[in-house]
Amino acid sequence: MFKSPFSSASSSFNTMLLLAIIICFAPLLPALLGLLSAAFAYFPALGLNEFSLLAFKQLILWPGLLDSVLLSLFITLVSTFLAALLSFSILQSMWQSKHWKWIESLLAPILGLPHVAFAIGFVFLFSPSGLFSRFVVLIMGESNAETWSLVHDQYGLGLIILLTLKEIPFILLMSLSLLKQLNLKQTFQTAHSLGYSTQQCWQKIIFVQWLVKIRFSLFAVATYGLSVVDVALIIGPTKPYPLAVLVWQWFNHADLSHYSIAGAGALLLLILAIFTLLCIRVIEWLVTCKWRSWLSSGRYCLPLPGRLTVYICYIVSLLIIPILILWSLTFRWPFPALFPRVWSFSYWSDELTYMSEYINNSVGIALISASLALLFAIIIHEFNSRRTRGRYGFYIPDILIALPMLAPQLSLLFGLQITTLLVPKPYYYLWVIWAHVVFAFPYIYLALNGAYKSYDKRLDMVALSLGMQPFKVWWTIKRPQIMPAILIAWAVGMSVSLAQYLPTIMLGAGRIVTITTEAVALASGQQRRTSAIYALMQTLLPFMFFLFAVVVGRYYSIKNNQYFLARTK
Amino acid sequence: MSLSIDNLSIHENKATNSPPLFSDFSATVNNGSVLTLMGPSGSGKSTLLSVIAGFISPDFSYTGKLFLHNKELSLLKPENRKIGTLFQDDLLFPHLTICENLMIALPNSVKGKQRRIIALQTLKKLNLSALANKSALQISGGQKARVSVMRLLLAEPQAVLLDEPFSKLDKSLRRDFRAWLFTELKQRNLATILVTHDSDDSPQGATICQWPWTNKE
Repeated sequence: MFKSPFSSASSSFNTMLLLAIIICFAPLLPALLGLLSAAFAYFPALGLNEFSLLAFKQLILWPGLLDSVLLSLFITLVSTFLAALLSFSILQSMWQSKHWKWIESLLAPILGLPHVAFAIGFVFLFSPSGLFSRFVVLIMGESNAETWSLVHDQYGLGLIILLTLKEIPFILLMSLSLLKQLNLKQTFQTAHSLGYSTQQCWQKIIFVQWLVKIRFSLFAVATYGLSVVDVALIIGPTKPYPLAVLVWQWFNHADLSHYSIAGAGALLLLILAIFTLLCIRVIEWLVTCKWRSWLSSGRYCLPLPGRLTVYICYIVSLLIIPILILWSLTFRWPFPALFPRVWSFSYWSDELTYMSEYINNSVGIALISASLALLFAIIIHEFNSRRTRGRYGFYIPDILIALPMLAPQLSLLFGLQITTLLVPKPYYYLWVIWAHVVFAFPYIYLALNGAYKSYDKRLDMVALSLGMQPFKVWWTIKRPQIMPAILIAWAVGMSVSLAQYLPTIMLGAGRIVTITTEAVALASGQQRRTSAIYALMQTLLPFMFFLFAVVVGRYYSIKNNQYFLARTK
Repeated sequence: MSLSIDNLSIHENKATNSPPLFSDFSATVNNGSVLTLMGPSGSGKSTLLSVIAGFISPDFSYTGKLFLHNKELSLLKPENRKIGTLFQDDLLFPHLTICENLMIALPNSVKGKQRRIIALQTLKKLNLSALANKSALQISGGQKARVSVMRLLLAEPQAVLLDEPFSKLDKSLRRDFRAWLFTELKQRNLATILVTHDSDDSPQGATICQWPWTNKE
């Protein structure tokens, strides 16, 4: 009987699998239980030993709660739909055009820019004294220029724009592999032979197929928008706060009685996330199923601003790094000057002494958690790849793997933290690493998906039939071929871990400081120069690991090619 | 009224020193008649069709002129050429029902409910009414092939290109489908170019042109 290369039906593989499940999926259950117990005011550590609805009453009576809920829903739904629509319009206008390679090659670097660093750069660009305002004053004169701000604005427009700009590259990247499955060349030829233009073909024939396939990515985008705290603290509205920020404030309140309201609020956030995902699904159903007569109504299409979106998205994203560098080297930069008047390295030299500890914390936690999550992702992939051979009825569904991406992080963490309180001694680093593994795991798993799907499993069968041991088959046959993907997945895990704010603060109880937690703290405190330095460092760290992954991955590819060339000669 | 090809030569762009795929090919296909290009795979037959339909890949370039009813084709985008192409695969749109696959092909002048009525009437003629609301993934190969042809014809093309449309059908189905397809094309008086490597595919009365084409002048 054929065996999976990683298995040898061995106890060691099964132990590793069990460990992966315990670490990556099992926390989801206590997270939910912890969340429910706090929400229903069952909290023995604070002397609350009975379930009650008090927290919900307090939550409902909280002044401005409804405004916060509506604001959160508004920001989430608008940013998600804008990101989806604009991503589609970019695909429609630019797919396989002469600029497409350029757009595609810049996706990864823009995606690699952490949300927090992006938000800090965005503030430098679009605050009332930001670079954009300086340009407006320069063109229109100081007296004519209107004062406006996309930072902390009442309706969350700045946050909506930031989320939209940041999610467009993500949706585009997810679309790349989806569109390859749709056989676009033949679809275009068929549509053209029926008299449809390229734009009409995109809207009438490809859009629906794309929308169905991109659903889970949109879910992840929406959940992130609803539950984001770090970016909302930097740029989001303050009157009222979005619900996630409000919950975060209750959670951090000096009065511990707010803990139960925070629990109820985190539960409300989870319910809102489910509601948002349902909204997206219902809209998808309306567009693709219920009101589908537009699909076959003839050769019409809407004009979509694809090129303009690309320009805005890429220009803003590409301006982030230069503006951060400028501010990190600024001593004096009076308004409305376009460039700093006095430059200085002093902020860098001052901060570097403090920063080394934070860098060590960030990199140390990221190295351990990304490596562990990578190991678990490989194990789960190996386990799931067996089901295609029909040997095992049980497999781990994609929806469970993606759950940490689809549930509000704050809600999950709240429950996780309640669970950790049951352990008598605090192990802050352990809890933080655990939480990072949970949140890095789905991204690493997704990053490995392509390599695992395209790998020809018959090679394993041949190797096994030659008498090789299963683990040796994996190590000597499969691993070298998927090594570049493994390295990139690991770098993805590193970048996810390095960017974690809430898991580090909540499960580290504020005792573990990383570059990201410090960047958020400084950005909320309006310290432009130092927050620019931390934002740059936050960008630089994942970039270094991506660079490492690409260079070593290329080395592996070249080594493999040279080996085959030598064999051929 | 016809489809005319005038001194057409096709070159592969990357291979600068290699000979053209073919050169100086000229032909005229009158309405209601069929030109069959017959020859082995890889000899450039399908490339010729893609040039006529406007789908030529950037790897190739061509010289010469193409006319449909005296209108120069190279100036028109593929969707404006009024030339329908039938490929080896049925290429029904998987996200649409069978009825919608037909509706999408109707001219814009057909509005609203009339689109569904015409699509349903077409399915009725094919004895496929029961499949109207089924997905393209739920019907048989032979049914797909017929729906695919009707979709093409509902778009009201002025000429039709057939790129080995029978090659993926089994023998018995192939004979019936072939006869039905050419009857439909004849009824509509359409100029047709058929590419095949099987002489049985060519209908009676078709002009047969052996491929690869070599200019004998």
